[in-house]
Amino acid sequence: MIGLAPLQVGPTAIASSVNAVWVLVASFLIFFMQAGFALLEAGQVRSKNVANVLMKNMMDWSIGILGYFLVGFGVAGAAAILTSASGGPALSTAFAYINDANTWIGWLFGAVFAATCATIVSGAVAERIKFKAYLIYSLLISVFMYPVIQGFAWGNNGLLTAGGLFGAALGVGYFDFAGATVVHMLGGTAGLVAAWMLGPRRGRYDKDGNSIPIPGHSITFAFLGTFILAFGWYGFNVGTQATVLSATSGSFMGAALGRVALNTTLAMGAGACAAMIMTWYMDGKPDPLFAANGLLAGLVAITGACAHVTWWGGIVIGLIGGGQAPLVYRFVVERLKIDDVAGVFPVHGSAGAIGTWLIPFFAVGGFSMAQLEMQTVGILTILVWGIVVTFLIFTLAKYTVGLKVTREEELEGLDLGEHGIQAYPEFVNEGRSDIPGATPGLSADGGVRTDGGHPVADDPTANGGSRDE
Amino acid sequence: MSDRPNDGGIKLVMAYVRPDVLGDVKRALAEVGAPSLTVTNVSGRGSQPAIKEQWRGEEYVVDLHQKVKVECVVADVPAEDVVEAIVEAANTGEKGDGKVFVLPVESAHQIRTGKVGTEAV
Repeated sequence: MIGLAPLQVGPTAIASSVNAVWVLVASFLIFFMQAGFALLEAGQVRSKNVANVLMKNMMDWSIGILGYFLVGFGVAGAAAILTSASGGPALSTAFAYINDANTWIGWLFGAVFAATCATIVSGAVAERIKFKAYLIYSLLISVFMYPVIQGFAWGNNGLLTAGGLFGAALGVGYFDFAGATVVHMLGGTAGLVAAWMLGPRRGRYDKDGNSIPIPGHSITFAFLGTFILAFGWYGFNVGTQATVLSATSGSFMGAALGRVALNTTLAMGAGACAAMIMTWYMDGKPDPLFAANGLLAGLVAITGACAHVTWWGGIVIGLIGGGQAPLVYRFVVERLKIDDVAGVFPVHGSAGAIGTWLIPFFAVGGFSMAQLEMQTVGILTILVWGIVVTFLIFTLAKYTVGLKVTREEELEGLDLGEHGIQAYPEFVNEGRSDIPGATPGLSADGGVRTDGGHPVADDPTANGGSRDE
Repeated sequence: MSDRPNDGGIKLVMAYVRPDVLGDVKRALAEVGAPSLTVTNVSGRGSQPAIKEQWRGEEYVVDLHQKVKVECVVADVPAEDVVEAIVEAANTGEKGDGKVFVLPVESAHQIRTGKVGTEAV
């Protein structure tokens, strides 16, 4: 029989295409979270360190994706194979993706998660870390620290999955849908350990150890960054429901997508409300930056839970995630005396752990003790791994390039010290340093040169160019 | 008459200091009994070497350094004490520590009370 189908496309191909387009769009959204992180962190530092923070955000992405392609994605596969309860394919298959174009959409989707994990740390170590030390960390988190956890939690029969060593022992797989712990808690924990190893910024604590706040230079940037992050988060959470059209059953996964989208939205609102109320109650006024942090903490808390919990569970998890952010921040800064500049541990670390641990209490399928045990084991595994590996990475950096900039550099700002520029320059038309005559040889100190004796106008290395004329 | 601080007159102590010593200067001023002050962000040139910055790798010279101007008007506290306090608090020994000037003030008026002269300070 001759059908009415001039387009001979099978349903499987259609389903794959729809799903692939969705995963690509989600990947682009998650990539845009980098812009959110960059602005959020830039707003929370002083104007003398803005270019440095932006540069760190640019380079952890750039170094990270190269490392994650050449090594990281394979390490994730290998970590899953090595911790499977049932053995697995040959270890070399973990790296087959490098020459298999059919896997590259999946690779990109993995890469934007790895980059999110890597960039979280930047906010904790801001305003004092040596740029070189940050580059070393960026590479190692993307090729090793994050991929191992990715393999443990999400790889085929990885350690924490139902088919992994821990999962098989407890009879259930670990629930962390989009990476509240795998991505965010790991990054937040790394940030906390790194900030502790670096020590506080100069002036962050007085002689008696009392916390002295150092306000960031632009609440506008911090808020814009927060909204951009929240926008990208729809890719992060809803995109993790990667199947829109099931090829096997032919059904549209509208309910699964809807649950993730709704819970994500409710939790961010609840998080911001809870943080606002918490600061209003504690300090007498609703704090804008904590409200913004609370919105993100609500998102982190629901990231692992959004596919598994009821809508009211989503609200409760968001409330707890956002409400704990100001409390944990105070604890970290005032009790532990760790200078977590952008509050990455309360926003990404503790929020991710709490939200993911609470999943069994609000699960659509009802409470399960085995699941709660698995959640506890999974969170502790990732936590211990994050602490130990971060400690090793920053110890390596400490004894190779050093961790912290000098006191003088910290005072003048890392923009000048690390990169030789100012983010907000003033009075700059003083001339080129390498063009004879371009700088007026004035002195304002009784005939003593004001330029430190550098004979700028007679510089023998100058080539006498006249590009400014 | 000459036993009174500042010979009975009013003095303006005007100091240019590094931004990061401002906290120490404020503390020192409070200790000598002259806590009132006005602070302005300024840029200036003195004996501190010019620095080179860059934009897209091309260097340019910046010889105006960011400083903080501290103005402190005193009547009952000797201006010399105020100067001494500032100098002590702001001294790092490096070029660019700044300078302190003392100027006579012709008259003073407190806006809220209408007081005039040394009482207004």
